[in-house]
Amino acid sequence: MAQASLNQPVARRALPEIVVDRIWRFFCSVRAAVVEIAILALLVLIGTLRGSSVPQGIADALPITAPLVERWYAWDVYRSIPFAAILTILSIAIAICTINRAPGIWTAIQHPTVTTTHGFLRNAEVSSRFNSASPPDAFAAELSAAIRARGYRTMTQERNGEIHLYADRWRFSRLATFPFHLALIMILAGGIVGVAWGFRENALIVPEASVRELGHGTGLSVRLNDFSEIYREDGSPLVYRSDVTLLKNGEPVHRGSMTVNNPMTFGDIVFYQSGFGQAVSMKIADDAGRVYYDDSLPLGLYQSKLNPDAPAGRIDLPPAGVALSVVAPDENPANAPELDTLNLKPGELFFMIRPLGPDSPIEMPVGATISQGDSVNLGNLTLTFERERRFSVFQVARNPGIPIFFAAAILLVGGLAITFYFPHRRVRGIVSATAEGSVAHLAPIARRDWSARRVFEQLARELGKRLQLDPHLTINEGSRPAI
Amino acid sequence: MDAVVRLSFYCFAAGSFAFAASAICYLAYAIGRIRVRRMALATPDGTTVVAHDARLEPGSQGVGRFGTFLAWFGVVLQALSIGLRTVAAGHVPLSNMYEFSSMFIFLAGLIYLLFERWYGVRQLGAIVLPLIVAMAAYVWVLPANLREVNPLIPALQNPPLMTAHVGIAILAYATFAVAFAAAVLYLVASHWRVSWLPSADLLDDLGFRAVTVGFPAMSLVLILGSVWAYRAWGTYWQWDPKETAALFTWLIYGVYLHTRSLRGWRGNRSAIILLIAFGAVIFTYFGNYVFGGLHAYGGV
Repeated sequence: MAQASLNQPVARRALPEIVVDRIWRFFCSVRAAVVEIAILALLVLIGTLRGSSVPQGIADALPITAPLVERWYAWDVYRSIPFAAILTILSIAIAICTINRAPGIWTAIQHPTVTTTHGFLRNAEVSSRFNSASPPDAFAAELSAAIRARGYRTMTQERNGEIHLYADRWRFSRLATFPFHLALIMILAGGIVGVAWGFRENALIVPEASVRELGHGTGLSVRLNDFSEIYREDGSPLVYRSDVTLLKNGEPVHRGSMTVNNPMTFGDIVFYQSGFGQAVSMKIADDAGRVYYDDSLPLGLYQSKLNPDAPAGRIDLPPAGVALSVVAPDENPANAPELDTLNLKPGELFFMIRPLGPDSPIEMPVGATISQGDSVNLGNLTLTFERERRFSVFQVARNPGIPIFFAAAILLVGGLAITFYFPHRRVRGIVSATAEGSVAHLAPIARRDWSARRVFEQLARELGKRLQLDPHLTINEGSRPAI
Repeated sequence: MDAVVRLSFYCFAAGSFAFAASAICYLAYAIGRIRVRRMALATPDGTTVVAHDARLEPGSQGVGRFGTFLAWFGVVLQALSIGLRTVAAGHVPLSNMYEFSSMFIFLAGLIYLLFERWYGVRQLGAIVLPLIVAMAAYVWVLPANLREVNPLIPALQNPPLMTAHVGIAILAYATFAVAFAAAVLYLVASHWRVSWLPSADLLDDLGFRAVTVGFPAMSLVLILGSVWAYRAWGTYWQWDPKETAALFTWLIYGVYLHTRSLRGWRGNRSAIILLIAFGAVIFTYFGNYVFGGLHAYGGV
């Protein structure tokens, strides 16, 4: 008979089937998941250190590593192929693992194996024996009722004249791993949705009394009505506030204000106070009265060679054939005073125009220092320094992925809390007949699980109290030390 | 208000000394007593052989209990210090490294004592309390101006989120310190026969239970940080070094939790991962010294 079965041809699997099976096993493997998470952690560490002074410190201490450190700083880990690949692999692993494990977990929840063996009970790290004068079936019913009273579900099954007992509680917590893992995919999905269907403007610079288009297909423009910075008596900043009006097709549609930590919302677009600076309101016209510029120019976004420390601005005026630079007084004259070639006083600004394009009306750069309210002729242009103003920098975002992110956050924390704080507790037992009546031998499924053993000990004591029987606890190892 | 701040510092100082004394008691309790036995054997040819046998024995219960008492005393003083500073600042003090570390000392002490009570294990204190004392020493050497209460800068002016985000971060770090101590003792208990140490299984479970508090807390830190970032900066994730350092820590504890279900990994290897993970906690905690970016608020 054995010979016959050996000679039977073994059904060989097709190569694609073998490949699919191996890929499936790879994605289901916890061992592989551990390696994947470790690789992700390593990449995150490399990226984290890139944002620190640690690599530079290494290069300073070991000059031989300087080229490597340079490449380290140059490598944008979070936008690299390895990073995207490991996130993809982990996401697929989570999805496949979920599909693979779900049926088994559901079966374990709904249709657990009720029967056990005396060997399991004998070798359990902790077990309890109850002796009763009642016959096995009556005692099993009594025991089941007592266990149910402790919030457990019980099941019994008769086999070979003995009654096998299974009890568990918080069985549905085994499902909580799924929302947790699903949440991780949802967070990634939320990020993708935000990038694909949202937008983000990192620096929308709007001087006071000026209007700037937001773009991104919104049709909105932003007018900064007022910017205010309030300081405490000790000089520390209290609040930076921008009062703005949103315009659509030139018509005001919303007015509001924003401070750091208190963004302004219009529909699904959120405006954030991000920065501020000095601006200059000015007018540029030619001798014929043609106006080339009548607006505010932000300063501080450009560095002038005339004084690298001072806030400066620059704008190209192609219709006038010139590029205009504006330099403000040095805000910190004590720092590198030798670099300040202008020595401007408070209230003064230095204006300079340079030729722009072949048809420029000037051949050489010309510049002049003027005070607020004054005008100056530079080439054929008249510049009027109307007044100093402020500008605000706004971050503007529309992120449709945010609701997904918040849902994921709830699933993640909820899933973890249920998994950790409501673990599936299981007890197995056999009620056998004895000369005096019956004996019930119970043990938890708690291999190397000290907490589960302690919960069982507590349960056994409570059952003993309720049934007025001695629980006869047997502890093989892991007992609590005296304190 | 200066008097309240000064009183708060005095409470911190007194608490530090209580913790230091407690650490000494815990170390004495954990190391135990060295008992040397001397045996003299007379041989038939008239010579005498003397043998010495040194054994370590459990420490005195009284010293251990006194250590626990002092630790509770330190926790109460630390709570008082934080409470007074809260009154002076008008918000829970968590805005610089002095305040952050004071809260760590308080929460690490409290969480350790709760675990001690829950598991009935006092030997862990020999690891956790010296850690607390080291942190107190660090607070002492911080620039003195950090002891003053300064108003919040605009970026931090969200006290509810600051309290939740930073407070839970410290809670996570404190529980990870307990897990670290359990891992150290686990490795000792599983490699050497030290009779008075708790069982390796208990220490393994204790470390795991600490992580089951710390890991969800760390998840909340990342989530609340994202919520705050979204509210303040318009994006919930910026790949800021402090953010990614916290993510790195979270991932390492994620590795630890997964290894517990792997055959051959639970036990020694898991304990080693816990040690590495606590290294990540320290890296994240003190990262402000080397990180640039958006979390440069610590005053260091």
